[in-house]
Amino acid sequence: MNFKKILVYSSEAIIENKLRSALTMLGMIIGVLAVILLVSVGTGAKRYITSEFESLGTNVIMIQPGKTDKKVAMGPPVSSSKGKLTLSDVEALQRNTPNLSAVSGVMFGAGTIKNENATNNINILGSNDQFNKIFNMTISDGNFFTKEDEDSGRRVVVLGHSIKENLFGNTTALGKLVKINESEHRVIGILKQTGDKMGFNMDDMVFIPTRSALRLFNTDKLFGVRASARTRSGMNDAVNDLTNILKERHNGEEDFTIITQVTMLESMNTILNMLTYALAAIAFISMLVGGIGIMNIMLVSVTERTREIGIRRAVGAKRSDILKQFMVEAVVISVSSGLLGIIMSLAITNALYFFLPGFDMRPPFWIIPPAFMLSFLTGVVFGVWPARKASHIQTIDALRYE
Amino acid sequence: MALIELKNIHKYFKMGEENIHALDDVSITIKEGDFTSIVGTSGSGKSTLMNIIGLLDLPGTGQYFLDGINTTEMNDDELSKYRNQKIGFVFQSFNLLPKSSALKNVEMPLQYASSYNSTLNDNLIRTMALETLEKVGLSTRVHHLPNELSGGQRQRVAIARALVNNPKILLADEPTGALDSKTSEEILNLFEELNSQGVTVIIITHDTKIAKRCKRILRMSDGHINEEKSL
Ligand SMILES: Nc1ncnc2c1ncn2[C@@H]1O[C@H](COP(=O)(O)OP(=O)(O)OP(=O)(O)O)[C@@H](O)[C@H]1O
Ligand SMILES: [Mg+2]
Repeated sequence: MNFKKILVYSSEAIIENKLRSALTMLGMIIGVLAVILLVSVGTGAKRYITSEFESLGTNVIMIQPGKTDKKVAMGPPVSSSKGKLTLSDVEALQRNTPNLSAVSGVMFGAGTIKNENATNNINILGSNDQFNKIFNMTISDGNFFTKEDEDSGRRVVVLGHSIKENLFGNTTALGKLVKINESEHRVIGILKQTGDKMGFNMDDMVFIPTRSALRLFNTDKLFGVRASARTRSGMNDAVNDLTNILKERHNGEEDFTIITQVTMLESMNTILNMLTYALAAIAFISMLVGGIGIMNIMLVSVTERTREIGIRRAVGAKRSDILKQFMVEAVVISVSSGLLGIIMSLAITNALYFFLPGFDMRPPFWIIPPAFMLSFLTGVVFGVWPARKASHIQTIDALRYE
Repeated sequence: MALIELKNIHKYFKMGEENIHALDDVSITIKEGDFTSIVGTSGSGKSTLMNIIGLLDLPGTGQYFLDGINTTEMNDDELSKYRNQKIGFVFQSFNLLPKSSALKNVEMPLQYASSYNSTLNDNLIRTMALETLEKVGLSTRVHHLPNELSGGQRQRVAIARALVNNPKILLADEPTGALDSKTSEEILNLFEELNSQGVTVIIITHDTKIAKRCKRILRMSDGHINEEKSL
């Protein structure tokens, strides 16, 4: 019998046993669905995190004092006691590198802010007038620091959105005085609300000039330096320039670590890919379970249809005809389940995306061919044994089977 | 010339400890165009013999020549081909596919035959199946499922299935065992008509009336075979 006929016969047999076929397919559908959805969750998370990362500011370069192993450059940069970055390093960089569009030293510390209305525990970030360019910060009210504010270490402050709300409510804050660690600062700007970005929330911060921060914390050692490359393609040149200038200033020693968005994204991606693979592995197991379901049902089906096998053999079916018939049946079940699973995954994720646009778990297109192939292969692998069993039943025994 | 030639056929069945000698040195020759009945008591080995003739089962020892070819040397695929091309088998219990219509049941042997004969396309298969169903008087029941047919009608479907591929040999193991005498009569008339058209017919029966209408009667007893009547 030719393949087309076997296909038609198998489909007929599947339709004749509606309930059983449907239950078998259910297992497979869930398997395929799990594969696609879990991979989509993995890639969706990756897409989300990457875009969050990029919205922090493009072309950002971070320089931390001390040499840390590049491989563990993930996570919050930790300054080591070795090496020291100072304001004069920042000035040297500003003077000498055309590849950088902005450079700022940063100082970071905890403290309190208060006025007559409220007291807040805060994170104080000392930075210069270029910092807002590096991180794409938007001022909703007033201005960021000027160069004069930075150079003369004025006691001025730019408030994060939440801090402003806490201290001033709806009343105007510009020009008012607040006490940061008991030292009076004048409010010159309010940041636009940003929300949480990668666990980093500017709404809860206050920004003061670097010099003021160093004075406040009584040190000359910067927490680090932040810079941004003029162009994305100029990133490597910028890093090279930076390295050379700082090395020269530090007696030829590379006692600092440079982290770029590129390297951060790379290590982030490695972790997110691992997550995706882990999810895929879990999904694979559910596929396996679906396949075993098919095998079970096919074995039952072979036993139930022993008589049919006998009849077909009696009128001239070869062993290979019987083998093909049951193989094709298993594959038709698995492939149609696969297709249904793919369609359902698309429907579910698109519906989710429609109602919750922030929740984009739509499967990447590349997953569809492998998911389809996987369901095909599952049918082949788990269909072989029952089909072989069917084809090896002796004709006369099959005919006598009650 | 001899269409079927059995030489010293033995068949044993092992039932636990017991060894049943179902066929004991059976040697017979059946010519093309014969109309033979096999009679004998229950358990004498009639079905066992018929299954071997129909290539549904293999002899323990001995040789079986069909159309001059030694079937005991054939492989499984060749046996399938011979069953498909040369033999039509009718069972006491009909053995129809319960979920397929009369037409689909009759088409089935031709579907398998199409791998030997490329001219057998779906249209031709359908035409041949319909013609054969008409021949057995079932042209108004082609789309019925077996359980929507009477016993006699089911057996006609089974006969149509056996005949559709124009076999040389029609084997029937108690074809009327489940039918009343009037229906049995009609089935037998059909067999006689086929025989007159050149088909070699072998029937197992317990019905002496049927046996008497055959040109030749073979009697089985305890695995042995004896000629009882021949014209
Ligand atoms: N598959 C088998 N396994 C074991 N014993 C078998 C098998 N088939 C047949 N036999 C035995 O072989 C002997 C002959 O059986 P067979 O079916 O040929 O008898 P029969 O003449 O057709 O009887 P009936 O008229 O009742 O149909 C019996 O004793 C039976 O028990
Ligand atoms: Mg019998």
